[in-house]
Amino acid sequence: MPAIFSRSLDGHLRRAAVGLGVAVTLFVIGWYYYALPSYTRVGYQPDQPVPFSHELHAGKLGMDCAYCHQSVFESPHASVPAAQTCMNCHNPKMANVKGNSPLLAPVRASYDTGKPVEWKRIHKLPEYAYFNHAVHTNKGVSCVSCHGQINEMKVVWHDQPLSMGWCLKCHNDPHEHLRPFDKVTDLTWKPKPGTGAEIAQQLAVKAPMSCQSCHR
Amino acid sequence: MSATTHETHDTAHGPALPDPLPRIPLVWGPADFDSVSQQVSEITEQPQPGWWWPAFLISAALLCGGGIAATYLISTGVGVWGSNNPVNWAFDITNFVFWIGIGHAGTLISAILFLFRQKWRTSINRFAEAMTIFAVICAGIYPGIHVGRFWYAWFMFPLPNANHIFPNFRSALLWDLFAVSTYFTISLIFWYVGLIPDLATLRDRAKSRLRQVIFGFLSLGWRGSTRHWRHYEVAYLMFAGLSTPLVLSVHSVVSFDFATSLIPGWHTTIFPPYFVAGAIFGGFAMVLQCMIPARAVFKLDNVVTIKHIDVMCKFILATGTIVGYAYIMELFVAWFSGNPYEWQTFKNRAFDGDYTWAYWVMMTCNLIIPQVFWFKWCRQTPWFVLIVVTFVNVGMWYERFVIIVQSLHHDFLPGSWGQFHPTWVDWLQMIGDFGLFFTLTLLFIRFLPMVAMAEVKGVLPMANPHYNFKPDAEYLKGENGEYPTADHALAASYGPPTRPRTHVEAPPEPVPPFVPNASGTGAPWGAVAEFANGAELLEAAKKTVAAGYVHVDAWTPYYVHGMKEAIGRTRSRLPLFTLAGGLTGLTLAVLMQFYFSAYYYPIIVGGKEYRSWEAFIPIFFEMTVLFAGIFTLVALVGLCGLPKLFHPIDAHPTFARGTQGGFFLSVEAKDAKFNPDATRAFLEGLGGKNVAVVEA
Repeated sequence: MPAIFSRSLDGHLRRAAVGLGVAVTLFVIGWYYYALPSYTRVGYQPDQPVPFSHELHAGKLGMDCAYCHQSVFESPHASVPAAQTCMNCHNPKMANVKGNSPLLAPVRASYDTGKPVEWKRIHKLPEYAYFNHAVHTNKGVSCVSCHGQINEMKVVWHDQPLSMGWCLKCHNDPHEHLRPFDKVTDLTWKPKPGTGAEIAQQLAVKAPMSCQSCHR
Repeated sequence: MSATTHETHDTAHGPALPDPLPRIPLVWGPADFDSVSQQVSEITEQPQPGWWWPAFLISAALLCGGGIAATYLISTGVGVWGSNNPVNWAFDITNFVFWIGIGHAGTLISAILFLFRQKWRTSINRFAEAMTIFAVICAGIYPGIHVGRFWYAWFMFPLPNANHIFPNFRSALLWDLFAVSTYFTISLIFWYVGLIPDLATLRDRAKSRLRQVIFGFLSLGWRGSTRHWRHYEVAYLMFAGLSTPLVLSVHSVVSFDFATSLIPGWHTTIFPPYFVAGAIFGGFAMVLQCMIPARAVFKLDNVVTIKHIDVMCKFILATGTIVGYAYIMELFVAWFSGNPYEWQTFKNRAFDGDYTWAYWVMMTCNLIIPQVFWFKWCRQTPWFVLIVVTFVNVGMWYERFVIIVQSLHHDFLPGSWGQFHPTWVDWLQMIGDFGLFFTLTLLFIRFLPMVAMAEVKGVLPMANPHYNFKPDAEYLKGENGEYPTADHALAASYGPPTRPRTHVEAPPEPVPPFVPNASGTGAPWGAVAEFANGAELLEAAKKTVAAGYVHVDAWTPYYVHGMKEAIGRTRSRLPLFTLAGGLTGLTLAVLMQFYFSAYYYPIIVGGKEYRSWEAFIPIFFEMTVLFAGIFTLVALVGLCGLPKLFHPIDAHPTFARGTQGGFFLSVEAKDAKFNPDATRAFLEGLGGKNVAVVEA
């Protein structure tokens, strides 16, 4: 009986099998790299209506985070400042710091009309995840832990994945991320290794691990 | 398939005792290797019979209904089913358990009966294994869709993810996932490995290029080489050994879904053995339900004889009675335990509840009706068996319905009692599952050999070198010249068995001494000779090896007992790979469960310590079996050097008989003693026919 398949087919099949194996491996690795929030969210850096520089305000000028994000110690929401806050310095009729800069036109418009500046939201958790800023800041978790070195960002980007696994990593073992309460908004302060347990005791840190803590 | 022991079908190895009861062959009437190939293969080769299309279209229409129901469910939510508080599991889990149970007969037949050397299994194992796979597919649909958010079904598997959530390894539902997916994988591998020699037969019989290519690929280039058979037989034994505990474990684990909960009527230790017996009971019923019509329309009654049906009916009787015992024992224990909740559930179930009718349907169909199989007429009358097994299938569905729905609708608190009302989606889904099952079954009998040809060839009288062929007139008669039993008379009415062939059929054209190969190298690959039967080939192989040849191989349609030793080979080392696979799986299971449950995301379940290991055992077992099975498959393919779609020996003009009824011996040119003319003359001297040197 004549052969059904050509002499070289077996070699091709084996090479194809190896190729398929490599392709599947690469696909899986690629999937785990590109589909996780560590890739899809981190690095998101939209252009804002006003090129507000955190590097200048929080970094060089040394303004405290809570000056603008007023409710960060009291409320679940850190709050985005109203135009009034900006106008404390940038009001052309008062302090007049760069009061007539065209870049600040949207802020002045907001101040005049009462309509908020349409900032683009960067950090957004799903509706089914409950996050409270106040409880974190009051328990010695710094802004920098979740938002990165804001004081060095000209334009803010999404610095950490904010995935559930990422949250749990700290909730499992929060000690190395804790700092004294008065250093929470000090973005340049670096915690000393080994002091976490003491701070946790002082601030009564009990990072909950139950589902219901965040999914209420 | 009897590679590993030295038993035969009769007592020829022992002293020649008088045999007052001649043994009835497993295949009735005249049958040789070619006729078995012909009878089974032609079903897939000829145009489909007239009834096939209507049957297929009806099944496919029902399947489409199931598809519509599933789509509606997925797009809308599980609320479209009637399942609701307090009956949160109803048709979905009833059907899941029903179908998982159906699968058990296939694995029992292919694995447990194999280990017990019940050779009658060879006629029905292929069909039953196929049904196992289709039934597990039908079952697997429900866990997939009843989770609600279908696209999150992968959460059931312990895959690394951005949420760092892992399944609870102490949950019976997760054990179930591992058990069912392992069961499906191993059953599929087992079935496919069993199919390989038969797919090769179909390839070699194929007339059209398309069939040649399809079956050529699917058979991986199987040619019946004894070097392959020696691995294959051991691999088959390994799969049987792995599947045997698996089949007992799967329905045990399914029963844990209920038994580990606290619901009265579920929380009982009788469940695992009771479920396994019920699964085998229902599985055999479904095998008969499909096999009896298939046997009739394809005229397979000489292969799947009335004795096969008889034996399966005995299984149904035995397991049905075990199940009936369990029903009564449950009832007794509910009363005897003095537990008021348990007793009220069973009183409600059997005497005064909303679902008492379902309980008595179950009792009648599963315990009472199968008792007719005490009578031989009832076991040996196919149409009657068909009616009884229909009742059994209905009864087994109701068993699951009673256990699940009845227990849930009446739990501890009267305030939470309620009823279950199936919706049209429930019904459509359930009927669609039957459509899926019958669609797959119809495709199977249309396109694949439904009898394991290579295995049946191995149990023919002519395959047994020790078979005592009596004169035809005395066939199956006792010493007094009478048929000892009615079965003997019936078997004899099919005619006496064919004797081993004594000559090689001449090819249409004489085989030339040198067979060129397309795009050949000019050098010889080796010499090939054909022999009339397995015994002659065995002798020739022994003489060839004794003459100093080393690269000797024998090519046979089934594994000829003793051939691997005859060509100078030893027992395959394949079990070492199985062992390695088992240890790999076990190690992974240990590391995975302890890492996740005790270290990475420790959760307290049932008040146990994090490191408490007892609840990890089911997954230890399942992963051991899963990896052992996969390693065995890879080792089989690797040790045999498959796929080998091209082989020079194919050029030999009569070699395609090798997977049907031909027996070939080859000596390769790389043998130091090989000389084209001398070796050819040597093989001719051994009685080889159609001897030729094949170009490499």
